[in-house]
Amino acid sequence: MALSARAIEEIRSLPPRFPHLRSAVPPALDIAQEELGRLTPEAMTEVAEALGLDPGYVEGVATFYTLLHTQPLGRHHLYVCTNLSCTLRGAEEICHHLRRLIGVKEEREISADGLFSYEEVECLGACEYAPMLRCDGRYYYDVTPQKLEALIQGWRQEAGNGD
Amino acid sequence: MATEVPAFSPHVPSTELRGSGGLTPPGPVLTRFFGTPGLYTLAVYRDHGGYRSLERALKEMTPQEVHAQVKASGLRGRGGAGFPTGTKWGFVPADVPGPRYVVVNFDEAEPGTTKDRYLVENCPHQLLEGACIAAYAVGAHQVWIYIRGEYDHPYRILLEAIEEARQQGILGERPFGVDYPLDIQLYRGHGAYICGEETGLLESLEGKRPQPRSRPPFPAVKGAWGRPTLMNNVETLSTLPWIVEHGGQAYHALGTDRSGGTRMLSVSGDVRRPGVYEIPIGVTFRHVIMELAGGPPPGRQVKVFWPGGSSAPVLPASMLDVSTDLDELARVGSMGGSGGVIVADDSRCVVKAAARLLRFYAHESCGKCTPCRVGTDWAVRTYRRILDGEGSSADLQILDRIQASLQNGRCLCGLGDSGGWVIMSTMRHFRPEYEAHALRRQCVTGECERQGAADA
Ligand SMILES: Cc1cc2nc3c(=O)[nH]c(=O)nc-3n(C[C@H](O)[C@H](O)[C@H](O)COP(=O)(O)O)c2cc1C
Ligand code: SF4
Ligand code: FES
Repeated sequence: MALSARAIEEIRSLPPRFPHLRSAVPPALDIAQEELGRLTPEAMTEVAEALGLDPGYVEGVATFYTLLHTQPLGRHHLYVCTNLSCTLRGAEEICHHLRRLIGVKEEREISADGLFSYEEVECLGACEYAPMLRCDGRYYYDVTPQKLEALIQGWRQEAGNGD
Repeated sequence: MATEVPAFSPHVPSTELRGSGGLTPPGPVLTRFFGTPGLYTLAVYRDHGGYRSLERALKEMTPQEVHAQVKASGLRGRGGAGFPTGTKWGFVPADVPGPRYVVVNFDEAEPGTTKDRYLVENCPHQLLEGACIAAYAVGAHQVWIYIRGEYDHPYRILLEAIEEARQQGILGERPFGVDYPLDIQLYRGHGAYICGEETGLLESLEGKRPQPRSRPPFPAVKGAWGRPTLMNNVETLSTLPWIVEHGGQAYHALGTDRSGGTRMLSVSGDVRRPGVYEIPIGVTFRHVIMELAGGPPPGRQVKVFWPGGSSAPVLPASMLDVSTDLDELARVGSMGGSGGVIVADDSRCVVKAAARLLRFYAHESCGKCTPCRVGTDWAVRTYRRILDGEGSSADLQILDRIQASLQNGRCLCGLGDSGGWVIMSTMRHFRPEYEAHALRRQCVTGECERQGAADA
C-alpha cells in the first residue's frame, strides 16, 4: 500500500515546524498510519523519501513505539490497561471477557468480522477509573463486563453486523 | 455503555473527576478553582485572576526576582525525583546566545499516576501560564509540551487553550504589551514509558529512538536540539502562578520545612474513593488513604502501598503513619516520586503484584544498557517460575542478585533502579510471602490459587 499524494504533501510540509528535520518523523508516521491503518514497509520508505532520510532510520523509530503499528489491526483496536491499579480492579477479567466477546485467542488477532482486535497496555494514566481502556482516541472508564458487551454490541450495530 | 470521553468536545467539564474537584473540598493551591464551570476556558480562568501572575512577572519583576520566589517556595519537582526547582533553574546558563527552551514533561506514564491529566483537563491555562513564567525566568521564548500519545482528550484541550491564548495575544510577539515574545508548541508521544525520563524525552522530541543519554552534559546546558533546556513536570509548572501571586514564602509555609507547599496525589487500587487529591505536604499516608480515599473495601485491611508511583519502594501498612514529606519518605527507604499512591489490601499477593510490575519494567526497558535489559527480563522469568509453583531458594537468591545489579548507578537511567526497588522493597517487607511461594508453593493470601498465577 502506498501513500496518497496529499499525505506526502502534508509530510513534506512538516519539517519547518521544528528546529531540526528529524523531529518531523513521528508526526509523519502519524499521517501515514492515519491513512493506511498501519505502517507498511512501502509507507515507511515513502515517509523517509519525503523527508530525505534513510528508510532504516524511519523504521527504527517506528518500531520503538506502542502506538505505531506495522501489522494490520481490527477497525476498533482496544488498548486495555493491565498495569497494577487496573489489575487490582479486574483488568484480567476484562481481557478474558473481551477475548470471548470478539472471538480471538490472543492480542492483536483480528476478529472474524474484521471489526476488532485488542492489546494489553501499560498504565494509561487514569487509574482512578480502573479498570479502563482506550479505543478510537477515547478513554472508557470503570469498565465492567456488561459495559464492555454494550460497547462491542454498539460497534457491531454501527457496522451493520448487529442482531 | 462505559463512561466515555467524547471525541471532539473538550468542553466536558471534569465534574465527574474524582478527587479534589468533586468529593473533597478544593485544595489550597492547584485545585483552588476546580469545580468552577468552564474553568478550562481562558475567559473563566481570567475571571479568577488567571494570567495576572504572568503579566506581573513580565511587567514588574526581573527574571531573577521570579527565580528568587521559586527558590523561597521550597518547591521540589513533582515529576519523580523531587529535585529543588529553584536550584534546577539555576543550572540553565544565563550567557549562552541563541535559542533555549522550556520543555514540559507531560508524558505521565508512571504506573499509578494521573494527576497531570487531572490538572490539565480541569485547568489547562494554569499550566500554560506556569510554563510561560518559567520561560521568562530562564530567558526562553519557546515552550514545548511533550504529551503522551494516549492523552487524546488533554491534547485537544491544550490545543484549544493555546489557540485561545494566541488569539488574546498572551502568546505572541508582545504578551501584555511587553516586548517578550512567547510561544507554546505541542509534541505528541507514541507510547513508551522511557519518554518520561528527561533525556529519553529529548531524544523522542528530536525524532530519534528515545534511548536515554549519558550525562553530563545535562539538559540545562545541552538539551533539546542541543540547546540549553529547562525541563519540568506539569504539576511543578502549574504551581508557579500561585507562587508568583502569593510569594514563595507563603507557598513554603503550606508544606514542611524541607518540602514546601502542596502536592497532588493520585490514589488508586483497593480504596473506596480512588481519585486525585491535593494535600499540604506533611499529612500522613493514613490521612490520604483512610480519610481522603475512604480506606480499603469493607472487611479488608490495607496491606501495602506504593507512596509515589510504582517506582517508589513499597511500604507495609504498619507504616501508614509515615508523612508525605519527601525527606521523611527517604528516611524510611522510599520516596515521594510521582505522587501515585497505589494501595493493595490483605487479599492481594505481593509476589504477584511485584511480578506484574517487573513485566512493566522489562517491557519498557529501552535496551540500551545490559543490567536493565537482561536483569528485568530475567526477573520476569524468575517470578514466573515462582508463581507457577516451580520456585526454589535459588530463585530468591537470583531475585536478590538482580535487584542489586539494577541499582546504584549500574544503569544509565532511573528505570533500572525502579525495577530493582520493586524487587528489593517487596522482598524486604514481605519475605515470608516470597518464601511461602518459592519454597512451599503456597500463596499466603490464596489469591494465586483463586485466579491462576500463570497470567501474572
Ligand atoms: C523511567 C523514568 C520515567 C519518568 N517519567 C516521567 C514522567 O512521565 N513525567 C515526569 O514529569 N517526569 C518523569 N520522570 C522524571 C524526569 O526524568 C524528570 O526528572 C522530570 O520531568 C523533571 O521535572 P521536575 O523537576 O519538575 O520534577 C521520569 C524519570 C524516569 C527515570
Ligand atoms: S536503565 Fe533501562 S531504560 Fe534506562 S537507559 Fe538503561 S536500558 Fe534503557
Ligand atoms: S493502571 Fe490502568 S490506568 Fe493506570
